[in-house]
This record gives sequence, C-alpha cells and structure tokens, in this order.
Amino acid sequence: MITISGLNKIYNKNKIALNIENQDIDNGIVSIIGQNGAGKTTLLRILSTQLKATSGDAFIDNISVMKEYNKIRKKTVSIPQEAAPIGILTSYEQVYMYLTARGFSFHSAREEANRALKEVGLYNVRNRPTDELSGGMKRKMFVAMALASNADTIFLDEPTTGLDPLSRMEVWSAIKELTGNTILTTHYMEEAEELSRKIYMMDSGNFIGSGTIDELLLPLKGRIRIESREKMDNSYHIGNLYMKYVDSKDLPDYENKYYSIKKVTIEDLFIIRGVNLES
Amino acid sequence: MNLKFILTMAWYYGIKTIVRGPSYIIASLSTPLTLLFLVFVLSHGALVKFAVVGGLIAFVGSVGLSGAGDSAFFRLQLRIQDLYVSSNIKPFDYMIAFTLSYLVFAIPGIVLYVYLGELYHLFNLYDSLVMILLMVSLIMTTTSISFMISGSIRHLRNIWGITGIITILTSILPPTFYPYYYVPRNFLYIIALSPTTPAAVIAQGVFGLSPMMNSMVYIMIFETAIYLILARFLVRWREN
Repeated sequence: MITISGLNKIYNKNKIALNIENQDIDNGIVSIIGQNGAGKTTLLRILSTQLKATSGDAFIDNISVMKEYNKIRKKTVSIPQEAAPIGILTSYEQVYMYLTARGFSFHSAREEANRALKEVGLYNVRNRPTDELSGGMKRKMFVAMALASNADTIFLDEPTTGLDPLSRMEVWSAIKELTGNTILTTHYMEEAEELSRKIYMMDSGNFIGSGTIDELLLPLKGRIRIESREKMDNSYHIGNLYMKYVDSKDLPDYENKYYSIKKVTIEDLFIIRGVNLES
Repeated sequence: MNLKFILTMAWYYGIKTIVRGPSYIIASLSTPLTLLFLVFVLSHGALVKFAVVGGLIAFVGSVGLSGAGDSAFFRLQLRIQDLYVSSNIKPFDYMIAFTLSYLVFAIPGIVLYVYLGELYHLFNLYDSLVMILLMVSLIMTTTSISFMISGSIRHLRNIWGITGIITILTSILPPTFYPYYYVPRNFLYIIALSPTTPAAVIAQGVFGLSPMMNSMVYIMIFETAIYLILARFLVRWREN
C-alpha cells in the first residue's frame, strides 16, 4: 500500500508539477492514467526515490520515501519512461548487471536473469546485442529486470510508449508475469483497462478519481459518443472533430447519417474534464 | 562499495565490448600517439622522452574524461542512470564502474607506452611506483571532473563539444608533451588547475627529465582531495 501525504513538487520558475494532499494507492497491478504533463512521471520518480519532493512525503508499506530512501530502493524497482538498453550489450548481460547493482550474488544474478528472460520470452535471444532486437523485445528486457529483482513494488513508467500494437501486446504479456505490486503509468486507456484492476486518474499534478473501469465510467453509463466533422450543439471540439455524448436510446437519430458512433471508454472522462463544451 | 557491480560492469562494458567494437581502443590511442610522432619529428627526437612520459599521463587523463560522454548518454538518452539510482547503487560505485570499464580499454595503450618507456630506458622500480601512484590519482580526479561535467549537461549534444574542449585543456595544453619550464611559471600555476599538469611536472622530475618541483606534489594531493569532494556533492544522482 502506498500512502501519499501532502506531496508537492515545484520546479524552477514556480511551475507546480505535483500537488497531492492525501491519496492511497492499493496493492496489485494498478494504473495511473492522465494526459501528458498530468504529473504521472514526476510522482513515479518521487516514489522510486529518483527525485526529491519539494515538500510532503509518501510511504510504501509505512516506509518513508523521503527519509528512508535506501530501504525503499531495496523494496522497489523502477523502469523509467523511454528507458533504452545499452545497444552493444546483450539482454542477459544487462539484466545480470542490474541484479549485481541490487546486491545479488553472481550465482543468484545468473539464475534470476535466466529465469526472468525465459518468463518474458527473451531466453532464445539473450545473447544477441540489444541493438538487434525489436522495440517490444527491448522493452521486455526491462520488464525482465523488474521480474528478476523480486521486488515488492514495481514502477513502470509508460512501458509501451512508441511501440506498435503487436509489440505492446508482447510487453503486456510480460507485465502480467510480474508478481509484485505494480504501478504503471500510461496514457493508453486500453492498456490501463487491459492490465490493471484499479485505475487512478491524474490531472494537473493531482488525483481526480479512482476506481475500477465500471466505477469510473458510471457518469457515462448508458451513453454513447457521437463524432462528426460538422459542428454539433453541446459538443466537445478536438482537432477537426466534434464529439457529444447522448443516451443510447437516441442512437437511431444518429444512425445512417454522417456520424461516427463509439462506445465510451475512460478516454471520454478526460474529454469531458479537459475540453470546453461548445454550445 | 558494491564490488560485484563494479567488476561486472568492467567485464561487460569494458572487456566484452572490446570484441564487439575494437575501434574504441584505436580511437583512444590515436591522439597521444599522433602527438608523440609530431614531437619526435619536430624536435628531431630531442623531446621524445618527455612525450613518452607525458603521453602516458595525457592518455590516462583522457581515459577518465572519456566517461563524461557515455555517462551523459546513459543519463539523458538511455535513461539508464535513473534505473540505477533507484537500485540502491551509490554514485561513487557507478563512477568507479565506468572508470574501470574505460581502464580496460586503456590497457593496450598503457602497455604500449610502458614498452616505449622501456625502449628509452626510462623506467626503474621507484619511478614506476611513482608513475602508478600518479596514474591512480589522475584517474580519480579526471573521473570526478567528467562526472561533474556530464551531470551539469542538459542537452546531450553539448557533451561532445565540452569534452573536446576539456580534453584539450587537460591533456594537450598542460606540459605533457614538452618540458614544463618552457612555459612561464605564472601560467604553469594557472594550468595546474588541470590535474594532468602537476602529474606531468612530477613525472618529469621523477624521471630526471626536468628539475623536480615540490610544490606540484602538494598541488596534486590537494587537487585529488578537492575534486573528489566536489564530485561527492556535485555529481547528479538523486535529483532535486
């Protein structure tokens, strides 16, 4: 369990990146979703002790992130956003090296690296320089690091950003192998839905909601999204699209016309919250 | 100190990568050997002993500095440093691991210089011990400097230009390839900010190539301590 208490991060020029009063994050695989700049990465970097908060604290299993960072580092693993492998080294060498950094013996590092690489499906290519691997395989190498470390809590910051759909599915299957509490950030809503049992929503450096997918979508229950290139009354305007939410019983009014009809997802919560309604 | 990590990194990032990319060894040797050749030609062989002793100093100094590019690349481009920050490894261990990896690359160069020193009958046991001490001290100071530089870089592209400048200031400008008494004393003290200057001056004194300058021994000791302390506080690790 992660408990956040009055956590603030203010960068130079008084830019507030994070401003969380109190928030608990449950155990298990959970996702933190939000748009770019919502504060997801800043929060994860603070929780994994890479970055100091300006004020406040957070606790992982009652251990202070700010004061007892050495204890936190032993219990957690953090895979940074857009982390890339050292291309000239193999995936085995990099997982092994990371495990020695975490204090594993040479023997345990060898055993655990091989085990983890098998579990994420990289064992057959473990001796190839990572420059020769696909984007999905490179990301899976980092998941293997997390898996091999046997940490209690794993932070994955946007683990599939920039990957093609097939590679993303490969990484998802590797993430599902993780046994520790896993907190992943993403702005792919379907990734959050696929992987986590609870979703936390962030915006402007703060949490704005949490729950299961059904709980979060409750305000939009029974509604559908209508999209059009033509302006509609009471619609949200994004790019060259206009969107509005209507009761599903009104669906016949929009069928057989130049409208696109979509099922609502978590993405729609951000649209409602973040885009001004045009009358 | 996490010796397991340091040795593993030196093995993988040093020895293993030599096989996969031997050009690095040649690249690291090319500048000091070219300068040695130029000194030999321009001085008709008269200053070649200075260039052999100084070349070794410059070479080891440049090895420490060469870590700056890679460590900035690891931090800014690969984001690997963040991975290690949260792994409980100490920044000092990370620095040492990098340096040891580069020292592995440097071994062929060091062997070549020692061989040249033997050819010119430069080394005896006492001189060699002093030289080893100088090289250890030099590698510590230049590594500290390189990590302070790489930590202060915000845009990766800048690191290549800055390390180029620092390498000239620390390995070519100081009296590594010429007698230290060729430069005015005041200027010598200014360029003594670079740890290769006291190292080269001491080496020239110990090898009997120039008069011994005791003040440089104190400067070397002082600089080693200062650069290590500065690195302790200025190396970018857990960010604020």
